[in-house]
Amino acid sequence: MKNRNKIDRTKAPDTTQPAEIEGNKILKGIGVSAGVAIGQAAVIERLTTEIYPQCILETADIDTEIQRFEAAVKDAANQLKEIKKTIGPGHPLDNHLYIFDTHILLLEDRMFFQGTKELIASGRQNAEWALSEIIGRITSAFDTIEDEYLRERARDIHFVGERVLRILMGHSEERRSHELPLNSIIIAHDLSPADTAQFQGERVIGFAIDMGGRTSHTAIMARSLKIPAVTGLEHISRSVQTGDTIIVDGTTGVVIVDPDGDTLYRYRDRQQVFLKYQESLMGYGALPAVTADGECSVRIYANVELMDEIEIALGHGAEGIGLFRTEYLFLGRKDLPDEEEQYGVYRQVLEANRPHPVTIRTLDAGADKVSPALNVGKETNPAMGLRAIRLCLKRRDLFRTQLRAILRASVHGNCRILFPMISCLTELIETKAFLEEVKQELSKEGEPFSPNVKLGVLVEVPSAVTIADMLAKEADFLSIGTNDLIQYAFAIDRLNEHVNYLYDTLHPAVIRLIRQVTAVAQATGITVAMCGEMAGDPLNVPILLGLGLDELSMNALSIPMVKKFIRSMTIDECRELTNEALQMQDRKEIHDFLESWIRERFPEDYFALHSQQTNDR
Amino acid sequence: MIKENEVFSKSLTVTNGLGIHARVATKIVQRMQEFRCEVTLIKDDVEVSARSVLGLLLLAASPGTEIVAKATGPGSMEAIDVIDRLIKNEESEQNR
Repeated sequence: MKNRNKIDRTKAPDTTQPAEIEGNKILKGIGVSAGVAIGQAAVIERLTTEIYPQCILETADIDTEIQRFEAAVKDAANQLKEIKKTIGPGHPLDNHLYIFDTHILLLEDRMFFQGTKELIASGRQNAEWALSEIIGRITSAFDTIEDEYLRERARDIHFVGERVLRILMGHSEERRSHELPLNSIIIAHDLSPADTAQFQGERVIGFAIDMGGRTSHTAIMARSLKIPAVTGLEHISRSVQTGDTIIVDGTTGVVIVDPDGDTLYRYRDRQQVFLKYQESLMGYGALPAVTADGECSVRIYANVELMDEIEIALGHGAEGIGLFRTEYLFLGRKDLPDEEEQYGVYRQVLEANRPHPVTIRTLDAGADKVSPALNVGKETNPAMGLRAIRLCLKRRDLFRTQLRAILRASVHGNCRILFPMISCLTELIETKAFLEEVKQELSKEGEPFSPNVKLGVLVEVPSAVTIADMLAKEADFLSIGTNDLIQYAFAIDRLNEHVNYLYDTLHPAVIRLIRQVTAVAQATGITVAMCGEMAGDPLNVPILLGLGLDELSMNALSIPMVKKFIRSMTIDECRELTNEALQMQDRKEIHDFLESWIRERFPEDYFALHSQQTNDR
Repeated sequence: MIKENEVFSKSLTVTNGLGIHARVATKIVQRMQEFRCEVTLIKDDVEVSARSVLGLLLLAASPGTEIVAKATGPGSMEAIDVIDRLIKNEESEQNR
C-alpha cells in the first residue's frame, strides 16, 4: 500500500497469484460482478455438442425423426417460456427478459428449424447429428463478424441448440435452484441466460464460470443480481467437485478452492467490510457534493464512452457527463460515421442526461487511436504528431460533420463542446472561427441549434497550462486532462514499463501545473474542471478541492466515495492540507502524508479502497 | 394505387449505439409479425429476412452500417418505417 503510486492502472489486472494466499488452490479469472462469496461448489454438468449419437436413417424413419425433432423444439420453447414466467415485473432480471424472447425466436428461426429438418431428410441423419451440424454451421458463420458483441451472439444459438439436444437425448432438465443446498456457488463450463435465471435465488450466492468475459450474459445478469461472479476461469468446472468450499472474489477475479482457515477468516472479514461498505456508500451518490461546512460545492460528472454507461453513471450520482468520448464512433470500422449517425448518438446522450450537462469531446483520434478511414499516415512519433484538434483542423470535412451533428443535437439537452489538445491560442481561435462557420451554414439551411453551447478547452499539454489565462478569455471553461498532461509534462509514455514509474498524479510538478490553471480560474472566474483519472481517485479529493477545482469528472463507480469524502471535509481543512503538500518536495512524502490523513479520517473507506485497488482497470 | 407486387426499397443507417444486436433483432422480428409483407434487409451483398433473428444478427450491422430495406406486399412502407425507427432510436439500454 505504501507504493500505491506504483500501481499501473493502464495494465491488465495482475494475473500472478497474490503471495498472501499462497498454499490454497487459487484460480484467476475476470471479476465481472463485485463482492465476496464463500460457499459450496455446485458443479453443473453439461453435455457438450461433441458427444451425440450418429446414425443413418432408414427412409421410412425420416418422418418420425423430423417429428421427434419438432417435438423437442416445442418442449424447449415451453421450458424457456416457463423460466421466463418466473421473472416477473420488478424482478432484478426483468431488464433481461428479452433474451428469452430472442431464444424462443431462434428456435423458430428458418435456418435453425427448417435447416435441421432439411438435413434430417436430405442427409438421412438422426436429429442430434443434424442439429449439431446446423449449430456448427451457424456458429461458424458468426466467427467472421468483426464486431465483438455481435460475434458473441454465437453463444445464443449454441445455448438454444444445446437445450434441444438435451431434450432429444432424454437428459432431464437441470437441477433447479431450490434443489441446491444453501450457499451454493454455481460452477459451470458456461451458463446460458436461462441457466443463470434458474440458478439464482437465495440459495445461489456466486458464480464461477470457465467461459465468458465482461459482456457475457452471465456477467451482465450477475451484476443485475448483485451476486459476485468470476468468468473466464477456463478449467474450474473440471477441477472442482460439488461440495468443495469455494471463495469467489468478484472484485479481483480470484477464486480459491478449499481455502485454509486463515484464508477463510480473511475473506469473511473482507466480505463483511464489502457488504456494509457498499450499502452505506451508494447512499452518497444521490447527495450533492458540498463540503461539511457548506462553503464549497463541486459538480461531479462521469466520464462516458458507451451509451450503456450512462444509466450506470446516473445511478451512481453523476450530475452530468464531464467527458463524452466520441472516438468509438470512428474507430474499429472501415468507413466514417456520417452526420445522421453522429447526430443520433449525441441526441441520445443529451436526452438521457437532460437537464444535466453533457460535455462532448470532439474527435481525439491519432496517436494510439487510429482508424484506416482517417487515413493518417505513418508517423515516427505519433504521440506528438497529427492528432486530436490538429487532425480535425487539417481534416475539415471530418470536423465539419462532427460539429454539425453536435450542434444539431444541442437543442435536445444541455450541450457543451470540449476541444482536445489545444496547445496555443491561434489553434483555439481557428477552431472557434470554424465553429462559427458551421453555425452560419446551419442557420442558412434553417437547421436549429442551441445558442447556449458552452465551449471548453481540454488542458492536456503543458503549453496550454502556461497560457491558461489567454485561453480562458476565449473559452467558457477549462478542463484539465491529467492523463496526457502528466505524460507530456514528464515526457514519458506511461505504457512504457521502463519509465512509467515517473507517472504520478501527486508529484509536486503535477500539483503545481494544476495550481497554475486554478489560479487563472480564481483571477478570471472561469470554470475549471478535471476529467483525468486523477479526479476519480478519492485520495486526491482534499488536494483537488484545496486547489479550487469546480468540477470533477470520473469513472462513475468512483462517484459515491468521492462525494462521501467531499461531504465529510471542510474546505479549510482541504486548503490547509494542500498548502502543506505544496511545501513538500518529494512525491512519496506527499503520498504518505495524504494517505495517513485519509486513513485516520476515513478508516473504513481506506480499507475498502485498498481492497478495490487491485481491480482497478 | 399501390400495385400488389410493387417493390419498395429504402436506404437506412443503423444509428443506435450497438448496432442490430439481440434486443433490436428480437424487436424487429416481433414487430414484423404484425405485417403480411415480405421484408428483407441488405448489407453489401448479403440479404436476410427481417423475420429471422439469426439472419438479422448475421447481417453484422454494427453502428453506422448502411443497409437497404426491401419490401413487397401490403403494408410495405409502414413495415420499413417500423424497422427504421427500431434501428435508429433504441431507448437507452443498460445492458445491451
